[in-house]
Amino acid sequence: MQTRRTFLIAGLAAPMLARPGRAADETLRLRELYERRGTGLSDLAANLVGERISVDGFMAPPLKAESRFFVLTKMPMAVCPFCESEAEWPNDILAVYTKRIVDVSPFNVKITTTGVLETGAYRDPDTGFLSMVRLTDASYV
Amino acid sequence: MKTTLSVSALALFAATGAIAQDLPQAESQWFTDGQSAVQAMIDRQPNTNTAKNIIVLVADGNGVGTNYITRLFDGQQKGMLGEENVLPYETPDWSSALIKTYNINAQTPDSAPTAGAMNTGVKQRFNLINLGGDAIHDDCSTVEGNELTTFGEIVTGMDKSVGFVSTARVTHATPAAVYSKTANRNWEDSVPEECDGIQTDIATQLIDQMEAGMIDFAMGGGRRHFVPEGVETDEGGSGRRADGVNLIDRATGLGAQYAWNTETFDALTTDAPVLALFNDSHMEYEADRADDDEPSLADMTKKAIEFLSQNENGYYLEIEAGRVDHANHAGNAARVVRDGVAYAEAVAMADEMTDDEDTLIIVTADHEHALALNGYCGRGSDIMGLCYDIAQHGDKHSDELVLGSDGKPFTVVGYLNGAGSVLVEQEDGTFAAPEGRPEITQEDATDLDYVQQALVPKSSESHSGEDVAVYAKGPWAHLFDSTLEQNVIFHVMHHAVTAE
Repeated sequence: MQTRRTFLIAGLAAPMLARPGRAADETLRLRELYERRGTGLSDLAANLVGERISVDGFMAPPLKAESRFFVLTKMPMAVCPFCESEAEWPNDILAVYTKRIVDVSPFNVKITTTGVLETGAYRDPDTGFLSMVRLTDASYV
Repeated sequence: MKTTLSVSALALFAATGAIAQDLPQAESQWFTDGQSAVQAMIDRQPNTNTAKNIIVLVADGNGVGTNYITRLFDGQQKGMLGEENVLPYETPDWSSALIKTYNINAQTPDSAPTAGAMNTGVKQRFNLINLGGDAIHDDCSTVEGNELTTFGEIVTGMDKSVGFVSTARVTHATPAAVYSKTANRNWEDSVPEECDGIQTDIATQLIDQMEAGMIDFAMGGGRRHFVPEGVETDEGGSGRRADGVNLIDRATGLGAQYAWNTETFDALTTDAPVLALFNDSHMEYEADRADDDEPSLADMTKKAIEFLSQNENGYYLEIEAGRVDHANHAGNAARVVRDGVAYAEAVAMADEMTDDEDTLIIVTADHEHALALNGYCGRGSDIMGLCYDIAQHGDKHSDELVLGSDGKPFTVVGYLNGAGSVLVEQEDGTFAAPEGRPEITQEDATDLDYVQQALVPKSSESHSGEDVAVYAKGPWAHLFDSTLEQNVIFHVMHHAVTAE
């Protein structure tokens, strides 16, 4: 499911790097978790692995009903027939595993998701969705 | 009596002209700039040379409204209020006209038949590329007998070279119109079984045309359509070709050079045809692009001209800024304008590298989008931000936001439909805005990922049928005047290369 360059450094958390200044309760933009062009985790994200963080974004239309899993996108997950001949995930997305069954939010309403940041390859057993970066034990408003 | 009136009018006109410098506004910069603009147009002489080279630069989805927001963004980035900015193709030495973009069967066009119209001289049907008006979308049985001759094929017959550059996939509609003929624009790496023996997929057609010597330079995205299913691409993705053919291997086997990132782009030489595929799908938006990963549109334009200009008989080059369109579809004006500026830089590069005496440069778009502009905003309102009120004194806007009747501010740029709709799907499936329009702050509105508010709810914002502009300089550029059908662009190109 990964598209580009497969987040080669996604698993390479760099705890020794200095953490950029950030308030503990600050809500991050999804793009801040990635290097430019979605090629890998940002230093900020690498330093937040294992921590509970909040990220702004949009809930993509769920892949499965009655699930505890959804994909967070930085912009509404528009399906553009003149851009792509089929639906495609952008590079910079975030898999979200929730505490409770997902109450679906419209794809174009901004939500703030809070959960524990995890990295490394994980294939969702129900949908087959392969993620390299995730929020687990998550909730959203 | 009529004769007397005419004579009187002439006398009045002459007298008015004689005293122009005595007018109270004569010292105004607006007045003298206006005089200079008229003089520049008077000085412009029709260029009736035979065009050796033709360059067409298409910004996909860059209608008059979209071009307007790029002009202001570019100006504001340079420290201007923005409205006064002049893009490289907006100076008086460029001729211009309005272009009607509809397709044979569509008031609202798509990029395939519009690019086809520019490349063949006739309007085409929605979703088709370079097939005549009797061909039907998705129906292979209507391909045979309806294939049109392209401008690329015509000038190949004149021993010119042909190439293209796009930030979209090289198999996407606008670049594909240079070299392919297809009953469906989406057949990028395969065709339905019933089409076997009738037409091949678009990627195969590209390599066929490279083998035939028609295409010498192909550069853009879309690598996955050239690589077999299950085979890893250069950057770790996966190929899409169900037929198992590796078209990159085929191209290099034919002697072509292949590039897939900035490093291999820099290593390209001018002694063999070029196939460059910088991304599995489209190239990155300019806002997300990194120089060490993908070249800019201006860099690609430079490389294409350096390569093609080796042919002493000349060349035809189509350059597309493909992602202006995609950002509009997303309702994300911030990426529209950044790709728009990259396009303007490519135009400047093409102009700088060529001679008006022998090269006709055409700058245009294929269609507009459902983009709309709010008012009444003061001068210098951030074109990506909120509409600020008009100041009573000075020229810059006041610090007061203009509010809607709902008491909320709004952005200068909006869309008539799209993902940013203020009507949101409710739990019962209806669409409503129980709390009215969302509040917007200037910080939100000027964020790179901001999606402008829209009216009609749609997953993807749509094209519109509104006119686009065409600008041109070089041989026969002056033929671009008034309001023209899109297919006329081909006829100006054809006249320019064949003029005695």
